[in-house]
Amino acid sequence: MVSGSVTQARSGTLDELPGDLMMWVLIISELLVFGAGLAAFLGVRITDPAGFAEARSHLHPALAGINTIVLITSGFLAARALDLRLKKGRAAARLHLGAAMVLGTVFLVIKGYEYADVAGQGISTETHPLFTFYYLLTGFHAAHVVAGIAILALIAWKDAPRNIEVGTAFWHMVDLVWVLLFPVIYLLG
Amino acid sequence: MTKDPTTRAWLVLLLLSGASVLAAVLAGGSFSKSVIGVFVLLFAWMKARVILSRYLGLWQAPTWLSGFNWALGFYGLLLIGLYLIPAFTA
Repeated sequence: MVSGSVTQARSGTLDELPGDLMMWVLIISELLVFGAGLAAFLGVRITDPAGFAEARSHLHPALAGINTIVLITSGFLAARALDLRLKKGRAAARLHLGAAMVLGTVFLVIKGYEYADVAGQGISTETHPLFTFYYLLTGFHAAHVVAGIAILALIAWKDAPRNIEVGTAFWHMVDLVWVLLFPVIYLLG
Repeated sequence: MTKDPTTRAWLVLLLLSGASVLAAVLAGGSFSKSVIGVFVLLFAWMKARVILSRYLGLWQAPTWLSGFNWALGFYGLLLIGLYLIPAFTA
């Protein structure tokens, strides 16, 4: 979707959308779900801002910041993969997709370390509403990262340009959700 | 800076992410926490715009890009409003 849509000769406003329409339906659905979750998080925070600030001090914004760099770099590599595939650089495209998957795995490892540390402090979903949202939203997002890595593996194998365009769109959606989730949960909570 | 739009988008995202973290660090200092929070949300909105435009390719569909930008803008205002309510009711 970066250098130009693979889909050719379409017309109409709906058909202007790059890539697959159903992927956009999925992207919008996911944005609505996570968007509602983040709005609810800030809504509940109104009832106990001091408690939220104290609870947030148990999280790891530095690790989450590193994960932001990891994920947007992974998204960059996925975007470059489509560019390269469209320019007939099949091996280079696969290499970039592989690197994007590795960074996705790094994201999960850091996230796992973070969960282990927070849980090690005796913090569960019941401890404070902030942690209920924290585990729910970041856990749901991590599940999408796992799905995204599987999709990247699939399109590295079946590497038609159209497949790469649609598959990387899912990965960019995961990226997009994280850049909204990170500041709200880790920096503003 | 590079002329490749994808690389440029990545660099902008890195810059905005760094700015968000820096702003959050400043919030622990003498700067107003509420003002810093608004900036952090603005940076998030700008990052989302870059991802939609360059990574997801909406630069090819200006009508859709504009629609997404407006919707995200209103959503950002909602988040800013919810974030600032405790500061005004304290």
